[in-house]
Amino acid sequence: MPNTLTTPLAAALAASTLLLSGCGSLSFSDSKEPATKASVASHYADIAHANYQDALNTARALDQSVDTFLESPTPANMKAAREAWRTARIPYQQSEVFRFGNGIVDDWEGQLNAWPLDEGLIDYVNRDNYQHELGNAGATANIISAESITVGGQTVDVSRITPELLADLNEIGGSEANVATGYHAAEFLLWGQDLNGFGAGNGNRPATDYARGSDCTHGHCERRAAYLDAVTDLLINDLEWMVAQWAPGQTDNYRTRLLAMEPDAVIQKMLFGMGSLSLGELAGERMKVALEANSYEDEHDCFSDNTHNSHYYNGLGIRNIYTGTYERVDGSELTGPSLADLVKQQDPQLHKTLIGRLNQSMAELGDLKQRAEASSKPMPFDMMIAPTNQEGSRIITDAIEALVVQTASIEKAASTLGLASLQPDTAGHTF
Amino acid sequence: MPRSRGLVTALMAFTLMLSLPALAQNDAGQTARTQWHDSIGSGYQRLADHSAVLSSTLSRLCPMPNRQEDGVARMKMAWRDAFLAWQQVRFVDFGPIEQNSRAWQIQFWPDRKNLVGRKVDAWLEQADKVSASAIADAGVAIQGLPAIEYLLFDKRFRTGNATGWTQRCALLTAIGAHLEKVTRRLAEDWQAYGNFYRSRDDFTATTVEAAMNAVEHLRSRRLGAAMGLRGNTSTNAYLGDAWRSGESLAAQQASVAGLSNHFLPGLKPLLTAPDQKALFDDLTHQANETLSEYQSLGRPLKALLDTEAGYRQLQGVYIEVSQLEPLFIGQLASTLDIRRGFNSSDGD
Repeated sequence: MPNTLTTPLAAALAASTLLLSGCGSLSFSDSKEPATKASVASHYADIAHANYQDALNTARALDQSVDTFLESPTPANMKAAREAWRTARIPYQQSEVFRFGNGIVDDWEGQLNAWPLDEGLIDYVNRDNYQHELGNAGATANIISAESITVGGQTVDVSRITPELLADLNEIGGSEANVATGYHAAEFLLWGQDLNGFGAGNGNRPATDYARGSDCTHGHCERRAAYLDAVTDLLINDLEWMVAQWAPGQTDNYRTRLLAMEPDAVIQKMLFGMGSLSLGELAGERMKVALEANSYEDEHDCFSDNTHNSHYYNGLGIRNIYTGTYERVDGSELTGPSLADLVKQQDPQLHKTLIGRLNQSMAELGDLKQRAEASSKPMPFDMMIAPTNQEGSRIITDAIEALVVQTASIEKAASTLGLASLQPDTAGHTF
Repeated sequence: MPRSRGLVTALMAFTLMLSLPALAQNDAGQTARTQWHDSIGSGYQRLADHSAVLSSTLSRLCPMPNRQEDGVARMKMAWRDAFLAWQQVRFVDFGPIEQNSRAWQIQFWPDRKNLVGRKVDAWLEQADKVSASAIADAGVAIQGLPAIEYLLFDKRFRTGNATGWTQRCALLTAIGAHLEKVTRRLAEDWQAYGNFYRSRDDFTATTVEAAMNAVEHLRSRRLGAAMGLRGNTSTNAYLGDAWRSGESLAAQQASVAGLSNHFLPGLKPLLTAPDQKALFDDLTHQANETLSEYQSLGRPLKALLDTEAGYRQLQGVYIEVSQLEPLFIGQLASTLDIRRGFNSSDGD
């Protein structure tokens, strides 16, 4: 495959023109210390920093739970590790709103949250219930079972499983479905494949997959343990790096570069992140595809059936950016100058509409979460998308519609705040 | 994240920010929308007609297993005609096409994990329950042109014997009937939509933005992903449209032709000043260049991806398509003072 040809082409074509820039004048409201675009931008960086710190702290707790489990692979310790994974998702999913528009996040996040994954790259799968990406040479490589793997003509020594090795293996063979790292790799190692289709139940990996000696199920328990250990260690390394990028008081991190930009450029990134996550990503990729095609392969947290929470906290992340508030994992609240303040200064009616719509989408996503977690007859996302489930379809459709409607108001807010374009220059894919 | 999930055609409503200078062109806008309504309407009608021919071809020929070989060839031709008719109007991502995910009912794409094949296989097991209305109630993966393509072209059906033919036939007929109905209603609804469409100034920007989205989608997702130029680094023919029938590139070519046939004529009245006329000429010229580059390929996507010489040919197409982008998305947007809003492809 002549991949080498792609580079000169990329160089030749790298300039794709996007509309950009321009700014409007501001007239401040009469409050004592009115928010400015600069103060809103700075607070945005504060929220990002706190959000990634929480993601890091909860990932550390996950890592500790995993270590305990691997030390003593009992069902109770496995359950605790699974709970720690669910907790770690809460801040991370809120942080996804920073991804769109901030190239540094978008370029980084594939190692943490790539999906859907061809999990046969990592470990054993039930072949009857496993559909991998067409043309993916690594889809059944099973790193855990092998000392070396060959994918697309490339042979890699995988005898020693380390965080660095896993990072190198991510997207091996050039396929994005070859996800060797991140939350979903850890999720697969904690839960295993969900073999229940549209029926109740999630992945049911036995704790004995990590047992020592003859108690080991499905073979290679030591390597499986090494994998889970390495994948959670890598998660921490990656999150530490991102926390440092947003830390205040540094001279050469991303936050410093971001806040040196024109405030309008930051405001644009904020709105672009909100709208892109709201419409294309959450409403589209993560909900509509799965619903319309009745496809549980397109469920976001498909091994754990935690999808409703991933969606809910994505939605919350969007609202956080507008309101300038972030509730930390310890329950404390971060508040400060917000987009809401700026929009209110310019167009109180639009603010009322937009905040109403953000609250409405949270209500719909809350409904989805509540239904999935109901004590009686819970209906997780993969049951909602079943072909004949009208109630499930309605719940998801309501959430999608609320997200679509709020995106229209986000566009209006961009216009009201004087932005000439919604597309930041870092948003396009590079090649 | 899904670096690896690409969303397809635009399917959700989004509003546009339209700025004042464009609104000032009311008369020209009205003329443009009248033209667009006509030419998109004719494209939809053509799609409905070809879908009706496909449906009748399927229901007429597939029950005759003794004439199967010839019949299958004719069914494939009818499929191809309908599929390419759809590609011409696929850029329209607003209006009646948004109802009930009609774009996906016609073509669910991308389908990286072979959902279409798996859904069809599951339906083949319960052929006694197959009917057009059962298909209408099922998900988009079973409803459209890719499902028919699978049943006609997939290698698992190439054995030449008639085993399972009855089930295949039942399914082909039912999906064909559903497609006929969806496309007929689409064409009808577009006509009914005319007054509203023509009367609303903001549809000028909506229509232009649909073309912009289509060009970006063509470059990045339909061609770039298969060439390993979109986040992924390896070539993969399965990431193209319609790889089973080998029509990936023909489909892309038809979409560019669709912009020439159904979009550019309506654009002309909006670009009347001398420098604007020059832009219109550039757009027309670049569309033609792109079409002739596609025309010169001569082989299916997979064959071209498999050799270095073939890949170079594809690069030639890619360069032409890439040059459409700054014209459509850069110059045209700034000339008409259109701000792009969010669209459903913003997800990765």
